Amino acid sequence: MEKFSPVGEKEVTRAIVAEFAKQFEDYVESDCIIIGAGPSGLMAGRNLAKTGKKVLIVERNNYIGGGFWIGGYLMNKVTVRHPAERILDELGVPYKKVTDGLFAADGPHACSKLIASACDSGVKFANMTVFEDLVLKEGGRVCGAVINWTPVSALPREITCVDPVAIESAIVIDATGHDAQVVKKLEERGLIKTKGFGAMWVEKSEDLVIEHTGEVHPGLIVTGMAVSTTYGLPRMGPTFGAMLLSGEVAAKVALEKLG
Amino acid sequence: MKARRIEKVILYDEGVAETLNIPEVAEYVRGKLGEAEVELRGNPFALYPDRISDYARKLASIKIHDVSSKMVPERNPLYGEIQYEKRRITGETRSFGVLYDGLYLQSIFSELIPDDERSIGFVHIFLTNRLFATWDDNDKRYHSRVGVYGVCSAISTTGLVEAPAKPREYYLLKQRYEMLGREPSELNDRFKGRFIDYDDERLTEVMKGYVMQAVFYTLIGTPFCEDKGCRLYNAHWQEELLFAQLESEYEFCQRHSDFLVKEVISENR
Repeated sequence: MEKFSPVGEKEVTRAIVAEFAKQFEDYVESDCIIIGAGPSGLMAGRNLAKTGKKVLIVERNNYIGGGFWIGGYLMNKVTVRHPAERILDELGVPYKKVTDGLFAADGPHACSKLIASACDSGVKFANMTVFEDLVLKEGGRVCGAVINWTPVSALPREITCVDPVAIESAIVIDATGHDAQVVKKLEERGLIKTKGFGAMWVEKSEDLVIEHTGEVHPGLIVTGMAVSTTYGLPRMGPTFGAMLLSGEVAAKVALEKLG
Repeated sequence: MKARRIEKVILYDEGVAETLNIPEVAEYVRGKLGEAEVELRGNPFALYPDRISDYARKLASIKIHDVSSKMVPERNPLYGEIQYEKRRITGETRSFGVLYDGLYLQSIFSELIPDDERSIGFVHIFLTNRLFATWDDNDKRYHSRVGVYGVCSAISTTGLVEAPAKPREYYLLKQRYEMLGREPSELNDRFKGRFIDYDDERLTEVMKGYVMQAVFYTLIGTPFCEDKGCRLYNAHWQEELLFAQLESEYEFCQRHSDFLVKEVISENR
């Protein structure tokens, strides 16, 4: 049997600390911070990073992928409607045609391929990290995010009085799903008024999410289900095509802004 | 009943379903009105290219977000909402799914009528795929509509699909499908033919009856008839719509049929 190298605990710890610190320091300033590592955030990050942009995705959970692991009702088959199967082709995800215009894939396969593709493109992640607030500068422009460790926010304040830190970027993308957490922070400051989301109208909701994906406030782009909450669009069924294509549009809009 | 003389019927195409054959509808109306002039106009907003931003803002402000709450026009619609409406107006997108207040929408459409055509003999009909609803004070909620009729009328191809209710079993199954995470559109095959669907080949034939409802509003002040076999019947169920527009043995009831022949065609010839 080939033997493991004789590396001790302290070297392992130093490697973790050094690598993390190096990346964290580097990504204190980036081209784009994406809040939320679900399918729309991953797609947006993947496409931006592919063009050479420096992208950091902030995710409150340890795991990346959001709801893309599971299709609905805890069943791990995910569906997309035409034309979103194009993205599955791009990612190399096997899928089958269920009916005309409807395609199904294994959730774990689709989600892991998307995560891998984002990583391969150069996206970096800050997982177990919560978004707490926005950095706003001249004219109210969004210029970054205030973040903290997820465990800190999960514990009682009396024993975890830990200040957050701020990271900066030219663009921030809200990919936080129905919560639309980033947009909601703007709303708290009276800078925007969200509409909540409307009744479910699966047939039309996906088109509208794509149509409304874009800059909602200077420096802030909204994508995925956060678009529905922001604009009061019909609620969507458990299908992911619009998430993937909305992420694609968000990246395109961000690229136009970044130049 | 004494008919008003119709000088011209103008049909606007405000982004209808692709299967709707508006020239065929126009030809039908022409035949019913004794060769009265029927003009097809494309996008009504194209007449006012320098006011696109203004109209986009107005359209973005009349969306219904909660069907159980009477809307008041939004003073500050979001930038993204206005941009979407601009793309709709300029024809860059035909996507739909937003629900508008029908009466406010009608009011915006009426602003688009040229000044020299604002007299009583003109029938302006805006055909659109925008879905709209009107508020009902009786049950305190909005109800989606196929058409709103008036000095200018709006008729929605999306409304033809969504406003009259589908068979009850359809909704029960749809609810179950959604709970199970199944795609509800699978139900369309199961109920095929029992309701008008998007891009339905029967859309043009059905639309003829609804355009006649708008014409009758101008002629006699009411668009509807109580006869379930008459094309002027105000259908609340898809099966009523299909019967009135496609399956009935006659197009118009005796009263409205006689009216068309005696009062309208003779007047217009």
